[in-house]
Amino acid sequence: MVKDIYQEFLRLTGFEDFEISAYLSAWRMASEMLGLTKDDITYATEERIPQYFDTTLVGVKKLLCCYIKEIIDLTKANEYKQKGIKIIYGILPALSVYYYALKMAAPDKVYVSFPDIFLTQVLNGLFHKLSPYLEESEKAGVPYGCRHCALNKTRYAARRLGIIPSPDVSWIWGLVCDEGPKTDEFIRYYFDPEWKTYVTRIPHDQTLGTVEDEVEERVQYLADQMRDGFEAVQKEIGIKVTPDQMNETIAVWSRYSTKIGELNRLMTSEIQPISGLPSAMYGEALSRPWNLGIQPIEEALDLMLEEVKQRVANKEGILPARSPKAMVNVMPIAVPWISKMFEQNGVGLAFTIMRALTKKQMAPSRFKDPYMAMAETWLKRTTSVNPGYSAQIICEQMATYGIDGLIFGFFDFDRWVGSDNKLLAKLVEAKTHKPTFHIEGDLWDDRDYNQEALRTRIESICEILKMRRSAG
Amino acid sequence: MVSIEDLAQLARDWPEYLRKSKKNGKKIIGYTGSFIPEEMIVAAGAVPHLICRGGESEAVEATLPYMLRFISPYSMAQIGYHLLGLDPILPMLDLIIAQCDSCHMARLADLFEYFNLPTFRLGVPSDWEKSISREYYYRGLARLRTKLEEITGNRITNTGLLKATDSSNSLREVLHLISLLRKRARPPLGGFDFIRLNHFSFMSETAVAITNLRRLYEDYQNKKTPFPGDAPRLILAGHVVAMGDYIVLKIIEDAGGIIVNEFLDEGIRHHCWNLPAAGDMGHLINELGERYYLQRTPPSIFQPAWEARTEYLKSLIREYHAEGVIWYQLCFEEIYDMECSIVSKAMDELQIPFLRIESSYEFSREAMAPLSTRVESFIESIKIKTRNLKW
Repeated sequence: MVKDIYQEFLRLTGFEDFEISAYLSAWRMASEMLGLTKDDITYATEERIPQYFDTTLVGVKKLLCCYIKEIIDLTKANEYKQKGIKIIYGILPALSVYYYALKMAAPDKVYVSFPDIFLTQVLNGLFHKLSPYLEESEKAGVPYGCRHCALNKTRYAARRLGIIPSPDVSWIWGLVCDEGPKTDEFIRYYFDPEWKTYVTRIPHDQTLGTVEDEVEERVQYLADQMRDGFEAVQKEIGIKVTPDQMNETIAVWSRYSTKIGELNRLMTSEIQPISGLPSAMYGEALSRPWNLGIQPIEEALDLMLEEVKQRVANKEGILPARSPKAMVNVMPIAVPWISKMFEQNGVGLAFTIMRALTKKQMAPSRFKDPYMAMAETWLKRTTSVNPGYSAQIICEQMATYGIDGLIFGFFDFDRWVGSDNKLLAKLVEAKTHKPTFHIEGDLWDDRDYNQEALRTRIESICEILKMRRSAG
Repeated sequence: MVSIEDLAQLARDWPEYLRKSKKNGKKIIGYTGSFIPEEMIVAAGAVPHLICRGGESEAVEATLPYMLRFISPYSMAQIGYHLLGLDPILPMLDLIIAQCDSCHMARLADLFEYFNLPTFRLGVPSDWEKSISREYYYRGLARLRTKLEEITGNRITNTGLLKATDSSNSLREVLHLISLLRKRARPPLGGFDFIRLNHFSFMSETAVAITNLRRLYEDYQNKKTPFPGDAPRLILAGHVVAMGDYIVLKIIEDAGGIIVNEFLDEGIRHHCWNLPAAGDMGHLINELGERYYLQRTPPSIFQPAWEARTEYLKSLIREYHAEGVIWYQLCFEEIYDMECSIVSKAMDELQIPFLRIESSYEFSREAMAPLSTRVESFIESIKIKTRNLKW
């Protein structure tokens, strides 16, 4: 019998037999729309996924299954739009709760997505095929040489290629970078006049070391910005989220967040039980909304947690006991060979700054008002705040999770998140005396460098981490 | 009779002037952008100093141990000279008011603070159409007033602020008059001189600058053009021409073009609008804020901005009979890079020749030759186009 590679792919990525028959045709259509050829599917099935993902774990397979279902769903956005479903986009980083709340309020009337990040992580992460999107953007007004963000380029290209429709509203966040929101203005003015945007921003004007979540005026300003944005979006699409729906969404989000906390705690075991890659991928359900909901991925996470607990109990894992564990800013999910290369050199990229929460970050908010609470949560996050406070949080994370070293970088394209990494490295190293490193690179787009170019750098970093670890 | 060289000399003496002023008990306040009303600094009895140097790659490279390589060379140069020990002014500043309108400028503020330079950050929200954002900026100005009063020990009074705005308006007016001379078919000066004059206006006492510029304006009225008759009329657009970053301007005009106007967001005294000339204190600060925040053409970082900016550029082209646009961009400035594509498309539609020049402040011999060739070819192509149209 001739092997159907599309079917094999779905099987590998955790689809049950009954699901395969239901999804096979949709997956063929979706992959065609996304520009994935049969060869690409074969490469992912036979080489890339087995190489970078431990598919012996059900939790990993089910995780991939959720990503594939979501990307199939994304390719139906045009269809949804034609049916009158309201299309709402956003970008990273943002507060996904608001989007989940809209979905909860009107599940059949709303489509929510941060399309660029899904496309980037799936297309590059699993197929290594983001280049056509990036090149599409680069030939149409977003030049290669300036180091623009691959996510912004992908969003623009996805619209140009007709993969996604114009949104009813793109609620765009510039709480971190300038380029994200301005890309939406670019798309509207340069290519698609129907691309409607609402922008939420906050200036980076806090003195080094300011504990931003404790500055009431700043929390209030951000809360006002969020309220303004959320109300504008609801008005635009004609859907009202009730306070109960909002509270319920926050409860679901918090419950999931607690489970991610548990996964992180398990990652501190003497033997690192799983690669940091799936762990970070589970965390992504908190960063952006899944149109198919958080429930399927939460079910997968429950399975993952069981498996990880079992591994910890059995003292099984991916590296020998007491191997160094490092933390990265954001896990390069779209460039999975980076974490693999660390692991091959005896170091686990076990944690991300975004998700290894401190006690303060996990504590309940001091505010009852949901906007104030969300603003406060946001201002406890390292990526959003001044480097002085950010360094303070990172030092606490390192102590809490027993982290041996920090790997900054891979954010060349981001004039906020990436730009202070060298400064942060100095501030953190001065306080913790733990080794910190900065690697120039791009965690979404690896066209500019290859594994061999980085291997020597990663090998030497790993050697230092191992020596420091063995020296106690 | 006064010459540009006289003003240039005053600018060269500026560090010495600041040193003496400081010795005489005056506070010296630096500031980094065009959203910071220098009138408030003057009204507080301090001497304002615009931090806006550039044009040398060494200053940018000096920041690399602390900052990402892909940050604007302009932002990094503002601290880079200090790190190299080549900035006589930064160490004597009693306060730096750091404009935080973009990531690039906010990171500059981080570095000021990291190197223990006394810094006050002024947040400039870019979502300018919202009332909460405007109010945020106005509150920032109110805080700035308190800070300036604290540093100088002087109260900013209504009279003081009005006097400062009056001087500042006079300075803007005379600069505007000089700029308008470039509307003439045979302008007595081009952009190389005008931008330097504009810069010099930041580097001498306001009263002295006004007097000198008025004299210069009188002289210019009867001055013959130094440009050939067929010199293409150009508009220079982009983010900033920093003090000292004059090579590109010189190349353009040496190659036979005239810069008849510029459309720059920073490093320039905006002279097309004036400040309020009356009002009580609370009202005045808000009015000042409103003029600075809302009256000008929105800078590129604002959102939305690009439609209004393109329209404004088109109006400049019409008013100044410009035949071409040169987009001067600093490398890794991602917002201007995207805007460049928008402007380029609009110019295409208008059939206005457009040239993009990108600089990292690297003006080595190897870099200069291709740059000059590009500019010369661009100017030549406009001349050919014009000649063909005349035939």
